[in-house]
Amino acid sequence: MNKAFYITAAELAERGSSNIPEELLSAKHLIYSSPATLAFNSPGAKGFGVKRAGLAIPGSVMLLVSPACCGRNTALLNELGYNERFFYLLLDDTDIVTGRHLTKIPEAAREICEELDYTPSAIMICITCVDALLGTDMERVCRRCGEYTGVPAVPCYMYALTREKKLPPMAAVRKSVYSLLKPQKRAADECAVMGYFSPLDDGCEIYRLLRSAGIKKIHELARCKTFEEYSQISVANFSLVLNPEARYAAQEIERSLGMPSIELLRMYQPDKIHNQYRLLGQAIGAELDDSEYYREATKAAEDFREKYGSLSFAVGECLNADSFELSLALIRFGFKVAEIYGTVGERNFVFVKKIASLSPKTRIFSNLSPTMLYYNGGEDIDAVIGSDALYYHAGKAGIEFSEEEQPFGYCGVIRLFERLDKALTDFKEGTNR
Amino acid sequence: MKKLLKYISPFAPDNSGAAAVLYELGGIVVICDAGGCAGNVCGFDEPRWFEKRSALFSAGLRDMDAILGRDDRLAEKLAKAAGQIGAPFTAIIGTPVPAVIATDYRALKRLSERKTGLPALAVDTTGTSYYDKGEEKAYMELFKTFSTGGTPKKGKVGVIGATPLDLSMTTPDALISALKKLGCDEPVCFGMNSGLEEIKDAGSCEKLIAISPGAVKAAEYLSEKFHIPYETGCPDLLDIASKLSHKAEGKRILIVHQQFAANSLRSEILSRISCDITCASWFMTDKRYMEQQDLHIPDEETFAEKVQSGGYDIVIADISLKRAVKDFKGEWIDYPHFAVSGRLAGKAFG
Repeated sequence: MNKAFYITAAELAERGSSNIPEELLSAKHLIYSSPATLAFNSPGAKGFGVKRAGLAIPGSVMLLVSPACCGRNTALLNELGYNERFFYLLLDDTDIVTGRHLTKIPEAAREICEELDYTPSAIMICITCVDALLGTDMERVCRRCGEYTGVPAVPCYMYALTREKKLPPMAAVRKSVYSLLKPQKRAADECAVMGYFSPLDDGCEIYRLLRSAGIKKIHELARCKTFEEYSQISVANFSLVLNPEARYAAQEIERSLGMPSIELLRMYQPDKIHNQYRLLGQAIGAELDDSEYYREATKAAEDFREKYGSLSFAVGECLNADSFELSLALIRFGFKVAEIYGTVGERNFVFVKKIASLSPKTRIFSNLSPTMLYYNGGEDIDAVIGSDALYYHAGKAGIEFSEEEQPFGYCGVIRLFERLDKALTDFKEGTNR
Repeated sequence: MKKLLKYISPFAPDNSGAAAVLYELGGIVVICDAGGCAGNVCGFDEPRWFEKRSALFSAGLRDMDAILGRDDRLAEKLAKAAGQIGAPFTAIIGTPVPAVIATDYRALKRLSERKTGLPALAVDTTGTSYYDKGEEKAYMELFKTFSTGGTPKKGKVGVIGATPLDLSMTTPDALISALKKLGCDEPVCFGMNSGLEEIKDAGSCEKLIAISPGAVKAAEYLSEKFHIPYETGCPDLLDIASKLSHKAEGKRILIVHQQFAANSLRSEILSRISCDITCASWFMTDKRYMEQQDLHIPDEETFAEKVQSGGYDIVIADISLKRAVKDFKGEWIDYPHFAVSGRLAGKAFG
């Protein structure tokens, strides 16, 4: 073949979600972990994987119990100041067959506690595919560790083997990091925001909208500096789930603390954002006036289009958006989307169908297909969004749009066009120089 | 506690070593994992990933593949990739998942060969050993499968063991220059800036050099098969010896690296000054190349104890190891070792 596989949006929509070509289904082929998509295939390499996410509880430390290979790239997190919080219990060939390492974990936890000059708030015990296959009862091991050290121990399951299961590793770790919350008297005017391991953009209108509805305190895990602040999350009257990967954790919190949740999606189509806020208002019994934010977001898009014209984009999946929803938003704003590098599934097929009706020739690639070895860049692209797209189009103007500070709502739309504007201006100046 | 790392991050594992050997040979290389191990190789242990494309993939195993031992699915995926990518061979590299389920690599190799029609290599790494064990296994598989002979060529020197994990460089240029200075007319680094043809033609070398202990077994194999003599040693590519001034005269020095790099550096230093040098390695240590005072380091605890109680004035080792010996008061000279810190020579630590 010697060329990257793609399918147009029209062809894909016609085939339907039950007949997606095998090249777009990662379970059907070998997985190409190209430099463009490392963060997807091994989140430990960049961003938040299980190991970094598991340390979201302030004051916690992690003991990674695994063969050396699983902890190898953790050294990358040292640059972010995590090296004082990671410890490793390495497994040998006998351990991975017999499971004898399990008896050593409490002693290792005790040694770590003795080594530290403070008492950690929790020891996160991270286990990997080996223990998934051994069927380890890590809850039991953690209870033993807690008894042995006097410090709560929490299991973190880095089971890459279960990535496409109901409870993939990044959903399971969200349950882990909220598991130390205890029931307490809840306050009607407080809520919790769940979903990300880094804070929402400070400028996000959701804070102001919630305050306008009488919410006085908004708890957010990523903003907790101390374990005491973390413990206060359970005071919240309800939680807002902004990322589907936090849904299971929210359900667990509802079960254990009685705290209900409301789920919102990150979207870039202003009318859809408005619709979500309207429904949120109904759910919490308040009218949320988002008209000003709606205007600002649509104006940002219109101003950008006026300045740069109907640009043609390539949109990746290593970014703070669903590639297909963002592409649809761009098309509806009046831009072209020539190429999308993304993972199609039932969840986002609805966007594929809409893209097909508005932009049938949009080419859809799978980042993970081995044929991407031969990807050689479309010529009809003016600008790119996503760190993967930037890798494929190194000579084009573009933005990663994968910063840790999370965009959401209308603020996300505004940030998108602010950053694109800066990137295109810088690119133009660079090319003119 | 043995096997507990409190200060140091884990070193490069055997599957990374095997991948490093095969990286530039043009085959379809599959890491038999769920994704994380391939991510560790591509995103950390293989610095060439960002410079040179290679058909290195993850098998994308899922729990039921492992539980049910669905090797046929892997072979089908491999055959599909082989149909899309022109490659002279395929290779499967083991990880903890196949180790736990006791994958039969010989059967997997035969199955792959039948499905793809290409020669297949199977490297039974487990993710629990160090990189040099994986390099050793991969070299053996390669030479046993492909090295059939070659017309002896005067001045040609085959170098085994050159990978970024040991050289801390992404090209062998410095090594080749150093070997030329040492009198090798035509050094060829197997698997680094040279392809499968050189592996096939390994019998044409006049001499072999194993630059790390992980390369010795392959050197011995080729030596026996083609009657080629071999030597061991790794030139001081970072010019560490020159960083030691005459103030090091008479001092006690500890060098920590892979055994042959440490040994060669010791010889280089001793050719300049007189001092007492101990070589130590966390990795394969071949007794034939050890001096009486030399050490093998089994774990972090022993490392700290040996450094602190050894009375060393100078330690020459990767700077990332210093964290484990906070009380060491002597001088520390950084000797980057990619397999230890994931840091290329010339790059700052931290």
